[in-house]
Amino acid sequence: MRATLLRQILLLVGLAFLPAIGQALYFRNDPAWQARPSDQQPVTVAVATGWGANALWLDARPNEEFERGHVPGAMLLNEDNWNALLPAVLAAWSPDRKIVVYCSRVTCNASHAVAERLRHDAGLKNVYVLEGGWEEWQKTHP
Amino acid sequence: MAEDSSVKTRRRTEWAFLVRRTLAVLVGAVFLYAGIAKVTDPMLFAGDIGNYQIIPWTLGVRIAFYLPWLEIFCGLALIFHRLFFGAVFITSALMILFLGITIWARAHGIDVACGCFGSAGSNLSLNWHLALDVALLAALVALWFGREGNRAVAR
Repeated sequence: MRATLLRQILLLVGLAFLPAIGQALYFRNDPAWQARPSDQQPVTVAVATGWGANALWLDARPNEEFERGHVPGAMLLNEDNWNALLPAVLAAWSPDRKIVVYCSRVTCNASHAVAERLRHDAGLKNVYVLEGGWEEWQKTHP
Repeated sequence: MAEDSSVKTRRRTEWAFLVRRTLAVLVGAVFLYAGIAKVTDPMLFAGDIGNYQIIPWTLGVRIAFYLPWLEIFCGLALIFHRLFFGAVFITSALMILFLGITIWARAHGIDVACGCFGSAGSNLSLNWHLALDVALLAALVALWFGREGNRAVAR
């Protein structure tokens, strides 16, 4: 039984390698193999604040955190309620506005995920991720 | 009398077999769907892996190319009952790994989207993902421990 199980495991593991290698060869020239794509552009609080009304601030945190406090004028757009929140964001967006997405702190990734979806799913450009997130904003705006 | 009892036992075993087969198809379909959802955009999946901040980016990309295909093959194996227990073993190990990583990331304040179903699952909250993972693992455990019944009918 053990030998049969091991054989089955090895066979499945090996079979999966074949198309994976083929697909990897197809993507072999993609620069993303070496480093994460730089299209997730980070921006500091100082730079983003300097954009003034040209910046569209998006809060990628959960609803309850947004309600406790957020960047003035920021709109809520998180992955939990993506479909419900996205239309309002698209209505507020215009091609000349830069989108600044933030989440809780430097270790959070919701802002990266939202920025990625805005580029991939909504096809938006000029999407930036705020370095340090809401925590950094609060430090610079006590 | 003894024959009656034998027929009842046989029927019960057949029902159990049918339930396990249905369960295997359902679990297999979930893995097949998860694999296909990710295989179409491996770099997007690599980004989801990278969000966990556990492994280097270059390793994450390699996993992003491999893991969806493993899920697809395991899903097919579960559906068509070929290499069955190998698939149950691998998918169970994957579920334990996914659950562990998700809980670890959450405990370390890493606010991360699961990425389990590519962009298709982004609307699922973490709690739903965890519930689905636990349900899948429970189903896989049932399939694993039901192997004696499978054999009894196959005989």
